[in-house]
Amino acid sequence: MLNKIFAQVKKDFLILASYKLAFLSNFLGVLASILTYFFIDKLFGHRLSGHLTEFGVNYFSYVLLSMAFFGYIGVGVGSFSSRIRAEQMQGTLESLLLCPVRIETILAGMALWNFIFATLDVLFYIFLGSLLFGINFSGANLISVLTILIFTIVCFSSLGILSACFILVLKRGNPLSWLINTFEGVIGGVYFPVAVMPPLLQVVARILPITYAIRAMELAVYRGYNLCQLKNELLFLVIFSLLLLPTSILAFKFSLRKARRQGTLVQY
Amino acid sequence: MKNPVLQLDNVSKAFYPPLSFRDIISFNFKNKPPTQALDNVSFQLEEGKILGILGPNGAGKTTLLKIISTLILPDSGKVRVNSYEVNRDDDNIKRSLGLASSEERSFYWRLTGIQNLEFFAAMYGLNKNQARARIKELFETFHINYGRKRFDTYSAGMKRIFLIIRALLHNPRLLLLDEPSKSLDFENSQKIRDFIAQLSRQGKTILLATHNFTEATELSDSLLILYQGRNCAWGTMNELRHRFNRPQGSIADIYKDCTCNA
Repeated sequence: MLNKIFAQVKKDFLILASYKLAFLSNFLGVLASILTYFFIDKLFGHRLSGHLTEFGVNYFSYVLLSMAFFGYIGVGVGSFSSRIRAEQMQGTLESLLLCPVRIETILAGMALWNFIFATLDVLFYIFLGSLLFGINFSGANLISVLTILIFTIVCFSSLGILSACFILVLKRGNPLSWLINTFEGVIGGVYFPVAVMPPLLQVVARILPITYAIRAMELAVYRGYNLCQLKNELLFLVIFSLLLLPTSILAFKFSLRKARRQGTLVQY
Repeated sequence: MKNPVLQLDNVSKAFYPPLSFRDIISFNFKNKPPTQALDNVSFQLEEGKILGILGPNGAGKTTLLKIISTLILPDSGKVRVNSYEVNRDDDNIKRSLGLASSEERSFYWRLTGIQNLEFFAAMYGLNKNQARARIKELFETFHINYGRKRFDTYSAGMKRIFLIIRALLHNPRLLLLDEPSKSLDFENSQKIRDFIAQLSRQGKTILLATHNFTEATELSDSLLILYQGRNCAWGTMNELRHRFNRPQGSIADIYKDCTCNA
């Protein structure tokens, strides 16, 4: 199983490396995004400081971490559907499914490179944040950070697998991915803390897993909270993961079977 | 026939057209009449033999190959490969067969030929050394010396050969070839035919779907003519001549009889 996942990661790396400016343009994108939020902080940051006291940081530090972390969430939600669609359009999906490989292995292999790439992004965010802008990450509780990361990846990858089901069956139009990417970031506290929003939206935010993931990560990194102090946020992420992962794999198997029955695996 | 490598019993498959936007807004969710891609197709293929499948466009040849290779599920009937049943033992079936489709796009064009083959070999469960040895062996068999070039630089003939090589990576018992010489010039078509003949001499069981009568009769031990999803004729050339009462007839004559009378 690991060999097969590694083969997929190697293949994805080689494909990306064949595009000469792929890495550079990605890192320039990170730099541009950091600069944007740095200047937003200069303009409006002081107005948000009252809402950020529980995290103990200014707006720029808050948003830099949440943006970096949101990369993982975006990969979890988007990479399965985008990879399935890319394989359909390239014409390689059938040849992949012809191999005697468990569907879970294919799905893991499809997403792993994107997670590795997202990790490079996060490291770049942290490097720039600490070196150029003097943000202090030294108080982070690494065990809490890793635990939050694992459950966030499982939770949002499950949503991503569910979203890939739409691509397998409907080919285009992926309402789940659209909903998560468009609204979760805004409502879930990625670009500004949830406390800034009107009470009604704060209620909505409370049922979204992203709210708990972002909040837990901010507290683990900037306040050094341990697992016990983050139990509420973690409990929510664990419940979501346990419910979503088996559901999403079953739904994917069902969608794959439906596409095989309809003979539409290669249609896009 | 003793222990056939491939056995199909009354396999049928119909495709329903998708609902149009008009149907959806008028709440008309009734299924439209389906296209019958395969209609009660049955045949067997013995170890080491080549079965040529002939038929016009839309006769169901590709659907048949995809059903055998587990990519499409049949509506009814049974398919057994190596005595494993489709839809029950799919992983064992995938290990038992190799499909060389007519789709050149089924490779990663930004990778080299070797990188593509190493990737698929790993997906078939070969370790690094096994994969390298197998690729080397197949390159020697097919006289390939352009494996390190990027796949998108290959000619149509080279891509076809790679389709066959990929299907052989895990040394399957059954090889499914879908129009292997499609859109190739004479020289490359001949090369592919020589490869197929060579594989047959090595004992591979081959199912060859083609439009090319010469290719089918030259290479195949027996022939199957599909027309509108139905099995119109199946047997050796002599059996077909006898059945269609054409003692000196060519496959083209028998094909005409089949398709005109169907």
